[in-house]
Amino acid sequence: MILKIALKELKEIVREGRFRITAITLFALLLAALFVSKSYYTSVNAQHSEAKKNARSEWVEQGQKNPHSAAHYGTYAFKPKYPLSLIDNGVDKYTGVSIYLEAHKRNEAQYAAAQDQTALSRFGDLTPDFVLIFIVPLFIILIGFNAFTRERESGTLRLLKSQGVSTWKLTMGKWLGLFLPVLLIAIPVYVLAALFLANIKDYGQFSLWALTLLFGVYLIYYAVFINITLFVSSLFKKSNVAFVTLLGIWMVSCLAMPKISTAIADKLYPYPTQVEFEEQIAVDKKKGLDGHNPWNTEAKKLEEETLKKYGVDSVQQLPFNWDGFLMQEGEKHTADIYFKHYQLLKDTYVNQTNVYRSTAALSPFLPTRFLSMAICRTDYTSHWDFANAAENYRIELVGKMNGDMAANSKYGDWDYLADDKLWSSVPDFQYEPASYTTVIRQNTSNLITLLAWLLLSFAALYGAVTKMKTI
Amino acid sequence: MLNHAIKYEWLNLLRDRWVMILLILFLGITVFAVRNGKEKVEDRMATITKEKEKMVKLDRKMAADIDSLNKNLKPAPEAWKDPRALDNIGWNAPRVVAMDAQPLAVISTGQSDLFTHYAKPKIYGEAYTLGFSELSNPVQLLFGSFDLAFVCIYLLPLLVLGFSYNVLSSEKESGVLRLTLAQPISLYQWLFGKLLLRFFILTSIVVASILFSLTIFDIDWLGNRGAATKLILLVTVYIFFWFLISFLINLLGNSSGSNAVTLIAVWVVFVLLIPSIISQTANSFYPVPSRTIMIHEYREAKALAEKKADEILKTYYREHPEYAPKDTTQQNQYSWWLGNFAASDVINQSVQPVLDDYNEALNKQQSWVNRLRFLSPAILLQDGLNDLAGTSPAHYTDFRDQVIAFADTWRHYFIPRMFNNEKMQAEDFGSLPTHSYSSAQVPSHYPADLMGLLFFLTLTVAGSVWVYRRNSFENVLSV
Repeated sequence: MILKIALKELKEIVREGRFRITAITLFALLLAALFVSKSYYTSVNAQHSEAKKNARSEWVEQGQKNPHSAAHYGTYAFKPKYPLSLIDNGVDKYTGVSIYLEAHKRNEAQYAAAQDQTALSRFGDLTPDFVLIFIVPLFIILIGFNAFTRERESGTLRLLKSQGVSTWKLTMGKWLGLFLPVLLIAIPVYVLAALFLANIKDYGQFSLWALTLLFGVYLIYYAVFINITLFVSSLFKKSNVAFVTLLGIWMVSCLAMPKISTAIADKLYPYPTQVEFEEQIAVDKKKGLDGHNPWNTEAKKLEEETLKKYGVDSVQQLPFNWDGFLMQEGEKHTADIYFKHYQLLKDTYVNQTNVYRSTAALSPFLPTRFLSMAICRTDYTSHWDFANAAENYRIELVGKMNGDMAANSKYGDWDYLADDKLWSSVPDFQYEPASYTTVIRQNTSNLITLLAWLLLSFAALYGAVTKMKTI
Repeated sequence: MLNHAIKYEWLNLLRDRWVMILLILFLGITVFAVRNGKEKVEDRMATITKEKEKMVKLDRKMAADIDSLNKNLKPAPEAWKDPRALDNIGWNAPRVVAMDAQPLAVISTGQSDLFTHYAKPKIYGEAYTLGFSELSNPVQLLFGSFDLAFVCIYLLPLLVLGFSYNVLSSEKESGVLRLTLAQPISLYQWLFGKLLLRFFILTSIVVASILFSLTIFDIDWLGNRGAATKLILLVTVYIFFWFLISFLINLLGNSSGSNAVTLIAVWVVFVLLIPSIISQTANSFYPVPSRTIMIHEYREAKALAEKKADEILKTYYREHPEYAPKDTTQQNQYSWWLGNFAASDVINQSVQPVLDDYNEALNKQQSWVNRLRFLSPAILLQDGLNDLAGTSPAHYTDFRDQVIAFADTWRHYFIPRMFNNEKMQAEDFGSLPTHSYSSAQVPSHYPADLMGLLFFLTLTVAGSVWVYRRNSFENVLSV
């Protein structure tokens, strides 16, 4: 019975010109988005591997230098792009792509694409996620807003009832009738995406499992919108009213809520400005130990302690280059200062994230958006993870340079030069993203919220149709 | 007769609770949006003021220190801390080059959430390394802010459509249309009159809400009447465009439901699809060259120049004989800095082509996008509002240029004095170069944006005339 109703609904929807036009447009948009994203991804990836190679050769071939000067010269860490980013580019446009790694300083990732683009890019780009998360729900509303109101307006709902069809079966039929066309669009996109991704040369990071999970999340999201659409359609007498109401719901959850949540998050837990942040770090640096400044009290203390430890009375007599040692101690100290301030920043970001997680109760769009970015590794957490890995690499690199200087040169000997042997002994920066288990664990709350939306909207639909009047 | 019909329409609307709900809803949304904008602008201005105050305080302290050092009231500090050394002033007491908010900055966040609004260029450092990015949660940038621009671009058309999608169809569906048309009245005049009335009501609500919100948040729109009028004009034309679209769709004579669906489709196309498609084509047709590749080229050019630093200084003196040390017996206390300046000049010259290539590619992409903005009224409105708010990309590029120019001024204040081995005096603080921000040289997009919107109006009117000619009267009347 349910299947019969579903097939009847499907036939009716497909026969309508409205459906055909929108479905074809939607499909064309998705294809275009997929192709454009793919070419963008390929070119960005090519740039990335070239830049990576360049950075390495610059570092290894920098010529003879004092190791500490080499640490100042530094190198770059480039953020890799992951295959699934061609489905959802997430916040990648707004986060920098490269981090300059140098002595004494932790730098922010630079060159966010959005800074080089026009204001137009703030409307959003035609990427698959734009169509999948924004437009598909609108499509569901468009084909489903009159599912019940139409029957009521033409009086067929009463006829159906008199035939003894249970309202729940009728609802399930209509539900499937909406879900099948969505599936019809989603499945080819899924298959195409899988083919694209499998054909990308270096798809080391791609797993079919993640793509499936991603589409699973989208399907749950669509189910929520189908529930809401049928729920609203069962409440109202007139199709027009149902349509306008549904449109309002779409607007609030997909357009307004993300912005309203942002305003709340920003008000409650504001980020420091770049300069404020740097100044707080500078204040700590001033108070603490500075590798370049041996007159500093703390450095003096360290000097006394070290001299006592080695039983000598001047730094010249130490078995290593005091300058190199002192700079490394200073480096450790600065790294601690950066760690402290970045931890504070991270707290703010976690607080902001929690605001979004609580407002997700008002909009099914929010948990879907966050899950989608997380699975595609284009969320803010992934960016943090990369930035932390780059910082660890920086500490290691600078430590190796200072260590070499301390071990192989004498105090005051700034003419000591190291060469390629030392440079190439530093391993290249390699970054492994967090495992999917970690990603899922970080997003449990989003997953729960989305599932709660699914269950509650089902319950609401059930409640509404069982009490539904036929007129 | 027409007047009569419109009068009753007016009375009808007055009694409609929807008008009241609309008024309250829109007023609430506008107040919230302007509040968000106001908060951002206040933060921005507070930071700038704080920085400037800090600068003045530091100047005063340094001047006082110089004074007591000159009078031998204080022991001379180490050279790197001595406020009389010009390099210390140039490095440690930079000026604050700030981008003050325009009077109507609250209306549109534009690009203001991506960039900092002040910089402190020092005597040494390449323009390219000046950071302008603001620290922010990229999720916030992705979602965007709930500002007046968002309300006008996205929500306002939906309000218009909700207010007008069934002006003709509902009359037809309730059977009143036949009664009305039994009167000596032209269908089109009557329909147009009905829509015009709604347009006036909605526009009054919108304008009143905007002005009310600006007033309660202390934004001096009366003092900036020119900009405020431009804002109102732009928004009004945009509203009118959407009413005309609704008029056109109503003329087709379809049912209310079908009208609603068609109008939403038009909204999706103009507000969501066209902007995102253009943005995407800009990235595909005119890809911005990779910054990552640029970094590499820049570093290579720099490394090459640094290797030749000694030769460079000699050539530099040959090119600038006025700077060559006159008294070679005396050691210049700034010689290390002077060598650095010379080297950095050469580095800047040798990397300039890399930067120029990059900027040219950027300009190409931006001019492509600028031309295509005429394809959607939503983009035109966004562009016009950013222009009025002073938050358009052009404003930020211009500010960056101003900072780079000022960095040069700052350096060139010190260079000749350093070559002369001069010292900083307390009274010199008054003569340090200062910067005052002006956006006067940013070419305004506003006139073109307004013309573009008017062009869309004309197009819709032409479309309506065409539909009117093609459609038979019976077709409209048939239910």
